Amino acid sequence: MLALQLMITGLQTGALYALTAVGFSLIFGSTRIFHFAHGATFIIAAYLFYFVNVSGFGVTLGVIAATAGAIVFGLLLNRFVYVPIQRDEGSFFTVFVASFGIGIVIQNVVGMIFGRGYVTVQTPLSFSVELMDGLYVSPLAWISMLCAAIFFGILWCFLKYSNLGLSLRALADNPDLVRVFGLNPRFISSCAFTIGSILVVPAAIISGATTGLNPAMGHHVMLISLAATIVGGIGSVAGTLLAGLALGLAESLALLYVDSQWTEAVTFAILFLFIIVRPSGLLGRSAAH
Amino acid sequence: MEAYLLNLVILISIYSTLAVTLNFIMGYAGIYSLAHAVFFGVGAYAGTFMAMHFNASIFITIPVAMLAGAVLSLILALPALRVRGEYFVAASLGLQVLAVTIFSEWKAVTGGIGGLIGIPPLDILGLEVFKPSQFIFVTVGVLVIVLIIINRLVHSSFGRSLRAIRDSESAAAAFGKNVPLIKTISVVISSALTAVAGVLYASYLSFINVESFMLDTSVLIMAMVIIGGTGTQAGPIVGAALLLILPSIISYLDFLPQTEIGSIQQIIYGLGMALLMIYRPGGIVGRKKQSEAGKE
Repeated sequence: MLALQLMITGLQTGALYALTAVGFSLIFGSTRIFHFAHGATFIIAAYLFYFVNVSGFGVTLGVIAATAGAIVFGLLLNRFVYVPIQRDEGSFFTVFVASFGIGIVIQNVVGMIFGRGYVTVQTPLSFSVELMDGLYVSPLAWISMLCAAIFFGILWCFLKYSNLGLSLRALADNPDLVRVFGLNPRFISSCAFTIGSILVVPAAIISGATTGLNPAMGHHVMLISLAATIVGGIGSVAGTLLAGLALGLAESLALLYVDSQWTEAVTFAILFLFIIVRPSGLLGRSAAH
Repeated sequence: MEAYLLNLVILISIYSTLAVTLNFIMGYAGIYSLAHAVFFGVGAYAGTFMAMHFNASIFITIPVAMLAGAVLSLILALPALRVRGEYFVAASLGLQVLAVTIFSEWKAVTGGIGGLIGIPPLDILGLEVFKPSQFIFVTVGVLVIVLIIINRLVHSSFGRSLRAIRDSESAAAAFGKNVPLIKTISVVISSALTAVAGVLYASYLSFINVESFMLDTSVLIMAMVIIGGTGTQAGPIVGAALLLILPSIISYLDFLPQTEIGSIQQIIYGLGMALLMIYRPGGIVGRKKQSEAGKE
């Protein structure tokens, strides 16, 4: 029964990990920008929702504010940091450092406004219901899984059938050819940032009610996103999704054997194993070098 | 005032040592590690363990610390360096997170979250060094030795191989360079030298706990290197001095909230990193333009 309980909690965590990680993977896969400030997008969305909710404006306005905040942040960062850097040189390192610096700024600004401790979004949805004897599940678990299913369904249709989705995949394959074809890579990468940032929002909002928020959690978000992207295979959205789910499950099931402070060690062990054994990831092309 | 300046110079020389060793792998080998504070911590804990349980002589504590740092870096380097840069960032971030858990849980060696107190002073040939006026010679001396070692390495054939790898891994491999081996050796050297700084730090404060070796420290060291100038000789030291003097400058500015000095410091260097990357990727000391690269 404990295993089943942990499995459901794991799926809940995994669904949120998958949403966050796919956001990063989509941006990184199509634009090749190492968007380390993805964790900061998470923080901004989460705290905006928290702020609007606590001020008594309700959930709907909170969701709108969080989504708008995430998109605006992603687009501004792309426009005013990544584009200027890439115009000159744009090595992996330069982009990473700039993105990392912005992440530090956001973490500390949020810390100064809301305090460095944990805050939680209070909602009756986080109260657990006893489903079976000894099996407690909160409605938030179902909401997380449902959110993940809906968002990934839409994303899949978008990437598969829409023209824009097609050009996103084309940009990932060959940016020069996209330009030759008469499409605007700048516009397409803005779209990648918009979609990637939107995908973070449900995970950020739900995390606020389940695990609580902390300005420094952006680094944890990035560790998960990076791990899922690498384990899933760089450039593969489906692989990242699977890996995100698997990481959540593994973290949760590990509680059968170890104490809770070691859950991040489990993520690290899986990441390390993949780097050694299968650097191209679950579904990635073999392009590790 | 004099005591304050002594303390500042000692800390700057310790952090400069950290920044110089990180710059060695970042600037010359193109390996971006977010786990530098781990090796700093391993050196501090290993040296302290020897000093408290066996012998405080630096001819025991420093070699043991270097060995511990080197062995641990080998575990990280061997698999991670065989793949691209993004992978090393991820692997080192993971190691940093894992190390913080181990530092706070392994109570027998690290004293848990509470840390270790009463760390003995440095014992150099029977002479106990603990007064700041004496300690400053040790830390500055170590910084100079580390600088000389790294300067020698960078200007040897090994250093040329490293830069060749940084600029193009496939070209270096095509010229018959054993890329993974050269990268691994550079990570091991860098980590072993970092561990020395850990021993000095622990002995100077005579108290350490996990908070000195968390991700924030790794980030701070990386910021020192980047803001000073990646791949330059003086850059890391300039960066270390600037970022350590920054909190005192902030505390002189009365209009800033004094309780938030730590946050303001981090905001300034975060912004500094981003702006430098847009306008001057070489850092303060670094070259202005890419076109001057050929003069090296």
